[in-house]
Amino acid sequence: MNNPPIFFFLNIFNNMAEITTLLQILIWGLTAGCIYVLMAVGLNMIFGVMKVVNFAHGEIMMLGAFTSFWVYYYTGLNPYLILFISMILVGVFGVIIERYGFRKVLGTGKLNEIFLSLGLIYILQNAAVKLWTDDIRKINSPFSSATLDLGMLNITYDRLIAIAFTALILICLYLFLTKTDVGRALRATSQNHEAAMLMGVNVNHMYMLSFGIGAALAAAAGTVAGILSPFNPYMGTIPGIMAFTVIIIGGLGSIPGAIIAGLMLGLVQNFTIFYFGGAWKEAVAFVLLIIVLIIRPTGLFGEEH
Amino acid sequence: MKVVNGKILIITMILAAIIAAGCTGPSDEATVPESIKIGLVAPLSGGASDVGNDMKQAAILAVEEINADGGVLVAEYGVKIPLELVEGDTQTSPTEGVTAVERLITSENVVVLVGGFSSGVTLANQVPAAGKVPYVITGASSAQVTRRTEVDTSYFFHYCSTTDDYSQPILQFFVDELKPLVAADRDLKLALIYRDDAYGKGVIESSVAYIEDNNLPIELVAQEKYPGAETDFHAYLTKIADAKPDAVYTVGFVKDTASIYIQGQRDVGLNTVYMAVECNEDPAFYELLGEWGDGQLLESKFAPYADDYTELMGPYKEAYVAKWGVMPGMMGADTYDGIYLVKSAIERAGTLDRTDVRDAIKQTNESEMLILMEGGNIAFDEYNEISPKIFIEQMFWNAETEELTPVIILPDDLKSQDFVLPDKYEIGG
Repeated sequence: MNNPPIFFFLNIFNNMAEITTLLQILIWGLTAGCIYVLMAVGLNMIFGVMKVVNFAHGEIMMLGAFTSFWVYYYTGLNPYLILFISMILVGVFGVIIERYGFRKVLGTGKLNEIFLSLGLIYILQNAAVKLWTDDIRKINSPFSSATLDLGMLNITYDRLIAIAFTALILICLYLFLTKTDVGRALRATSQNHEAAMLMGVNVNHMYMLSFGIGAALAAAAGTVAGILSPFNPYMGTIPGIMAFTVIIIGGLGSIPGAIIAGLMLGLVQNFTIFYFGGAWKEAVAFVLLIIVLIIRPTGLFGEEH
Repeated sequence: MKVVNGKILIITMILAAIIAAGCTGPSDEATVPESIKIGLVAPLSGGASDVGNDMKQAAILAVEEINADGGVLVAEYGVKIPLELVEGDTQTSPTEGVTAVERLITSENVVVLVGGFSSGVTLANQVPAAGKVPYVITGASSAQVTRRTEVDTSYFFHYCSTTDDYSQPILQFFVDELKPLVAADRDLKLALIYRDDAYGKGVIESSVAYIEDNNLPIELVAQEKYPGAETDFHAYLTKIADAKPDAVYTVGFVKDTASIYIQGQRDVGLNTVYMAVECNEDPAFYELLGEWGDGQLLESKFAPYADDYTELMGPYKEAYVAKWGVMPGMMGADTYDGIYLVKSAIERAGTLDRTDVRDAIKQTNESEMLILMEGGNIAFDEYNEISPKIFIEQMFWNAETEELTPVIILPDDLKSQDFVLPDKYEIGG
């Protein structure tokens, strides 16, 4: 095992090589965190507005990756342009799932919602295998071999773009939620369904919209993940679980919480692998979760009810 | 009187029935089975279904070839009987695998089982067959499948390489070929990165044992294990790069191994020699690697992308591509051989009795097929294992055709050229 982090930081200025290592891990952690952030913000959009827990969010991410893959395969367009096409297509799919799936069981009991989303995991995975087989796929980026040389370290363009796109998507989401009437209506529905309804907000439309946005964000996460690594129809399982960890750490329904917790989880996991080994990668997420819940049971940015 | 007549009538009817039963023409014609059922045990769905489908496609090809020639001659019936492949989908799961094998044995009444991919899955699903049905295992590399002691393994035959089989030539390659080039006056610094499962640990344990038992001049400078679903290897590789290895020995499946090769060179700058194990001998591996496979290594026992090093390779590739439209994989080649091995055993046994077929498989001593053997013949040793010939391939990227193709660099009797260090190689990464 390497020296524990405290000794590393004490000696940091004596060892440029270790600074490089630290920076490298920061970059890896931030990129991994971006995927968690996109997943968790989407999940929180759905939960915040509908109070529905969608366990199939990882499978929607997988659909996003496959949608981008096939659009890329048939059109040859730049994968980063395709990312937005995939977000729209999968967003529409999310709206359909909400309208003809979750809407039917909404309010009939939490168990019905949970089992519907659990069922969707198997349905979507098996449908993907049946339609596209579980061969390994990869979305080829035109920048896959290009790196930015910063002297001490090289960063691939794809990682920088992943970070930049995540920031761009989140800024757009922020502007939409705060500067548009529809965004304000969404937030109102999230805060109080009945009051929003009394103010003339069509709550059912807000449900569809929140599910669509959540699915679109998952599609963005899937596309970024598919550009950075090979994937198959089972790719969404672990990110789906991690997204839940993130929203609990950040606070259920809190978008800033999901952003902070997502980045934090990516960084903590990568530093853990480096210092303690890969066997602790998943475990550390839950250690973090338990620590946060002991200190602040509602999560970092969660509201007390 | 009536009672006596009744008894006589009954006795007469019974005798007539017995005589009739003995006189219904030649008995062998009436009882010749329509087909010989062979159970294919493979992951046709779930995480390893790409491998399972290769096994299935290869098995179908072998069965069709055999049936096109009339089938399998069974002396007991004096006729050729066609083969019938019955699929048992393990769903890449130990529990589902057990269900599949039980169904093949009890409902389908198969004569023999062929297949079995993944050591963990196979160790579970071979239990219902123990002591009952011959099982030619063509895709599980743990030696335990024929060496375990808590079940009767006398019906199990290991027709693929074990983890011992391939860790030895890999380590000998490092010592004999790589060390003189990069670490002539010191121990070779080797880093290991492997899946945190029975397969990964099995290969690593046998590799470490081989280094220690043979006192090889290898220093293990890093040993990193990762969860099977891992896709992001940057932190692992950064840690390995810190240890400045002369080579990285990877034990993983296609998706993870290709990611390690690419992320290590492109992102972490670990420009060293990477070695992968034979389950990566798959079209997807070459496709995913692309230019990042240039100069890198792969251990294998079936190389469809290399030159046709055996007479059977060309026709097999041609038939496989013609039927399925894709290149064959390694596990399929094992399974293809396995079906022909069963055909031969049934013909030698002259019966469909499972015990006689088991005995015939055990006594196999025939020429190698797609999988080459040390000594040239297929034969099972005391552990019911074969001795496959293992080779090391080096891959080269052709920028014009944008193709990554391998050449065999070991052993000497098969190699097309010598090993050369990759262009970007740096001592200590």
